[in-house]
Amino acid sequence: MIQLTKLIIGHQSELLRLENIMLSSGNVYALIGRNGIGKSTFIQTVSGMQKALGGDILLDGQSISGFMSKEIAETISLVDTRFEGVEYLKVKDYLALGRAPFTDAFGRLTPKDWQVVQDVASELAITHLLEKFTDQISDGERQLCSVGRAFVQETSVILLDEPTAFLDYMNRKLLLELLVRLAREKKKCIVLSTHDLDLCLDQSIPFLLAANGEINLHATLTKEEILLAMT
Amino acid sequence: MKDWSLKWVLICLLCFLPLAMYIHLISGQIEISYSSYFDSFFHFDSHNTNQVLVREFRLPRLFMAMIAGAGLSLSGMFMQTLFKNPLAGPYVLGINSGATLMIALSLLTGVQFFQSNFGLIGTALIGAFAAGLFMMLVAQRLKSQITLLLVGLMFGSFTSAFVSILESLAGAESLKSFTMWSMGSLEQVEFSQLGIILVVFSFGILGSFLLVKPLNMLVIGEKSAALLGLPIKSVRMFVLLLTALFAGLVTAFCGPIAFVGIAIPNLTRILFQTTNHRYLIIGNSFIGAIFLLLTDAFIQLLEGHLSIPLNALTSIIGAPFVVFLLMRKLR
Repeated sequence: MIQLTKLIIGHQSELLRLENIMLSSGNVYALIGRNGIGKSTFIQTVSGMQKALGGDILLDGQSISGFMSKEIAETISLVDTRFEGVEYLKVKDYLALGRAPFTDAFGRLTPKDWQVVQDVASELAITHLLEKFTDQISDGERQLCSVGRAFVQETSVILLDEPTAFLDYMNRKLLLELLVRLAREKKKCIVLSTHDLDLCLDQSIPFLLAANGEINLHATLTKEEILLAMT
Repeated sequence: MKDWSLKWVLICLLCFLPLAMYIHLISGQIEISYSSYFDSFFHFDSHNTNQVLVREFRLPRLFMAMIAGAGLSLSGMFMQTLFKNPLAGPYVLGINSGATLMIALSLLTGVQFFQSNFGLIGTALIGAFAAGLFMMLVAQRLKSQITLLLVGLMFGSFTSAFVSILESLAGAESLKSFTMWSMGSLEQVEFSQLGIILVVFSFGILGSFLLVKPLNMLVIGEKSAALLGLPIKSVRMFVLLLTALFAGLVTAFCGPIAFVGIAIPNLTRILFQTTNHRYLIIGNSFIGAIFLLLTDAFIQLLEGHLSIPLNALTSIIGAPFVVFLLMRKLR
């Protein structure tokens, strides 16, 4: 569970602010808003990569400002923009990197670590990709792998920055359904930024609406209300 | 989940290294019996010409070929991973130029301290590290991989201009020794220097293995690695330090040797088909050592007729290979 209180985000000048938002486990939240309004900055801030200009982020009651980078990596994972694949990096090794916060100084993986990789792979139905190189699979498959890596990290919070941006309609739909299901089953708190209003409405995902310099949580919104708020 | 093909490549390399060492030893102009090799170690007789030849020339050259090959390859591998650029290397990114400038300063100004082993390694290391730091700062402001290479090239021209000025100011004697050095050669090292070179090199290898996990994480980019809890800033410094250590060490004793640092890490990746640095470190060390042993063996074979500078030969082999890589990757 994340609690955001009086949070002010931005690089040097303020982009967005919010009063008090509670994001609970088991749910997917869709962060929507127009280009350049500060969605990515919001995600970066919650992930701990970017300092907030004010306010606090509490994880299960603890402020993340006191966290070491390793502690953050054990509680929050971020699927950042587009993963382009790396030559000769196999999918299984890419997924296994998600275990990095938990492995020893030499990065050696225990059988348990490999088991996590296997489990996540079968959960996401990408077992057949494990032995393939990350630069030789399709965009959709690669995006699934990125999501998989976040799940391998076994964090309670998963943030995704426009995970559906490079996918075709079917893959967008499947990815969103998958995230909703996994959030419920694995008790994860998932926040994703997206422009796919229709898909989110279909899944009746709660919205984090960024507009007019503010972020507000809405359990339900109609398309008309969203469009009105954004203009 | 074990990768048996990786193990096989490793075993092949393990067998091939002694063979390359053997070829290097027998390709010298003067034929030396096996017993002389043996005796030079266990019953050294300073009046026996063959034994002196082994001790003062053959063995230092053999070890330097291996150390230089492995060291340059490793420093190239570090840079390619750190800059996430398959065309990075100590030569193209100006690390060698930094070391060269510092060595030119010390050799051409004729200050005594710099001519000692420590002075030489120290100055080269500082020059290499400073150049690496500079390139790191530039790289953070750039998006394009090509631009970074061009900046490295400019940096190289810039420092070589200073080297030219130093050359024009230097006396005949120091100019000669600097020119000899700048052609790149494995023959300059003496038996007595091998000790310190081996110690520095071993530290480098030890440090490399400590970096396996950070390097493996850097493969997916600095930002993703940081999100996985990697302390980027200190890792960056540690990697640069090791790059400078290897490149500085080799440059100090063998002069500039081009293209090994850019070509071998790519060759290793193609052969091993992995991004796991546990294997890449071993692979680069072996392939780099074997490559330079064979290249230098070829030079030794021709020595009676003509003497090819090492730097020239590695460029002749390396430059076309890099062009091949360019066509394959960056088109």
